Amino acid sequence: MRTVRTTGYNGYSVKFSPFFEHVVACAGAANYGLVGNGRLSIANDTPTGLQLDKAYDTQDGTFDCSWNELNENQIASCGGDGSVKLWDLTIPHQPIRKWQEHRREVFSIEWNYTKKDTFLTSSWDFTIKLWHPGQPASLRTWAEHSQCVYSVSWCPRQPDAFLSASGDGTVKLWDVKQPRSVQSVSAHAHEVLSVDWSKYREHVFATGSADKSIKVWDARHTRHEVETLLGHQYAVRRVRFSPHHDAVLASASYDMTCRVWNIDAPMGQPQRELLDYHTEFVFGVDFNLYVPGQLATCAWDEQLAVVTVPGLVS
Amino acid sequence: MATFNRIKQVSDHLIPVAKPAPLTRVGVKDDDDIVIVSAVRTAITRARRGQFKDTPPEDLLAEVLKAILARTGVDPNLVDDVCVGTALAPLGGAMTARQACLYAGLPERSSAYTLNRQCSSGLQAVVSIADSIRSGRITIGIGAGMESMSKHYNMNFEPSEKLASHPAAADCLLPMGMTSENVAEQFGITREQQDRLAAESHARAARAQREGLFKDEIIPVTTTVLDKEGNPHTVEVTADEGIREGTTVESLGRLKPSFSKTGTTHAGNASQVSDGAAAVLLMKRKTAHLLKLPVQGKLVSSAVVGVPPRIMGIGPAYAIPKACELAGISVKDVDVFELNEAFASQATFCIQKLGLDPAKVNPKGGAIALGHPLGCTGSRLIATILPELKRQGKTIGAVTMCIGTGMGMCAIIERE
Repeated sequence: MRTVRTTGYNGYSVKFSPFFEHVVACAGAANYGLVGNGRLSIANDTPTGLQLDKAYDTQDGTFDCSWNELNENQIASCGGDGSVKLWDLTIPHQPIRKWQEHRREVFSIEWNYTKKDTFLTSSWDFTIKLWHPGQPASLRTWAEHSQCVYSVSWCPRQPDAFLSASGDGTVKLWDVKQPRSVQSVSAHAHEVLSVDWSKYREHVFATGSADKSIKVWDARHTRHEVETLLGHQYAVRRVRFSPHHDAVLASASYDMTCRVWNIDAPMGQPQRELLDYHTEFVFGVDFNLYVPGQLATCAWDEQLAVVTVPGLVS
Repeated sequence: MATFNRIKQVSDHLIPVAKPAPLTRVGVKDDDDIVIVSAVRTAITRARRGQFKDTPPEDLLAEVLKAILARTGVDPNLVDDVCVGTALAPLGGAMTARQACLYAGLPERSSAYTLNRQCSSGLQAVVSIADSIRSGRITIGIGAGMESMSKHYNMNFEPSEKLASHPAAADCLLPMGMTSENVAEQFGITREQQDRLAAESHARAARAQREGLFKDEIIPVTTTVLDKEGNPHTVEVTADEGIREGTTVESLGRLKPSFSKTGTTHAGNASQVSDGAAAVLLMKRKTAHLLKLPVQGKLVSSAVVGVPPRIMGIGPAYAIPKACELAGISVKDVDVFELNEAFASQATFCIQKLGLDPAKVNPKGGAIALGHPLGCTGSRLIATILPELKRQGKTIGAVTMCIGTGMGMCAIIERE
């Protein structure tokens, strides 16, 4: 495991570059994101250790980031003041674009990794917005959730489809061409904090909730979940499917741990790994696209970590 | 402020029991929702005097079935099952209901049955079809109700003496009017309160009829009616007959009580004896999408609750909260109630007991003005509530009624 301190900034999200196996970005916020500024940190994973390479400071906390799938030097971020920013790693200090439309904190940003030309944001103003990096205003806004929208996830197979997870307990399935959701699933009795679509299984997605559980769903039969993964002691903040193993899922939780799960495991034994090196709430987890078994995690303990899970390397 | 909100958000994530997100089935769309594609009814006519007095109830049923198929354009071959509620039809109405289905153009391969939960039969039929769809036994079904109180209002039967030795079982045999007197007496519902509700029912129904608010739900029926000399006349029946414009508390005050000399229930503050039929086409949302059929509303929940038979009219006061609970909403969230006015006494009690806003209850009048063809009523109320929710721009409706022998039923419907 290699770690680096994001001193003064508590980690909210971590994303590996889709272009370089050694580059990872971390969205962070001062004072646990409750008040104060934020920072987008870019780290390099070198033979001598994990090193912070660049930093972009923001007026309010930076809560999530997502790499431009068409430009290896660009990354977008979103923050507590409702702003959405596009940064170029060749240009210091200032974003190359800034959008100010959301009326409250923006908690997630996801670049469309199949079409690659647009990205989504979701906010505590209950809306989801679609953006094009070259356009001055958002392309679409969906206002159907009745609470904070914590997370969005693009469908790997249908470039216009995506999922959203909300504090209203639902997960909604959307088509960017439709003004209303295509489907709404009462996913958890408590807030749904994260959703991710399986990279391999066409209809499968996972949700993480304040109810401490992770649920695995089949979009064709949403009356009941396919499976519930129990183990986290507090709310599950983020779930992420592996890009290399179709049954593997990683999760980050307020219980200060990350866990790796095998959704095909026999009943009662889905948990494969427990990563308990963080000492505060863990908000970020991501898989490296280029190095099977390698994960990055970030937490409120100001630690950004890159770790290899032995069981996933083969 | 933002800081406080963010602290609270994190704290809610850590102790989620402190603020569970509302678990409601209202406002949530799911492929497996049971949706209403169409609901239609005949006009409700006066028993023994009205224009359906010589029409068998199955003829009315055939007309609503034909109309619902024609209106929606749904392929009759896709309709798997039809359930018809009827309280009075001889032999349970089983033969005549099947006849009506075949006559209306449903294929022999489709099926039909009847059921009898008395005054809620038409609603129970819809719920039973919904349950069959939900369980996957069928894909598309019609819940319906039919009644001819002109032809089949016959109370002749010999009750068991053995069962009548049980007090509550004996109460099941009470005339409905006596149960109304019991409710009025036990809960102190005055004659004046009852007459006021009855007059309001007529006033609202008259206004609704004048403004054409029933035109979306009523399908015209052409039938034959015999005059006093027994000569047949062909008529087209398009309007409810029971509504008496100008009915006032004063005019009702002159009527004598019907069931007890000291009583408060009379012909003017009880539901009218009527003829009619209604039908509701149901399927899952995904089926409606597949067939490109419009969705009028969703059947969210339903509940039946038992109450003492001697005060059977209080049933809705217990069924409404249960159906709301199952829907994950509060009674206050309901925008429109179609509460069957079996008697003004019990309707007044239910409104008072639940603290309902009278403006939300029966905005187009109730059974005191429109009539109560027993087995038809439940389906009729669904046909009535959907256009009213649409007109008001509201979404949540409750269809509810009391049931003889002591029960209440309620269904929550969300208009879309």
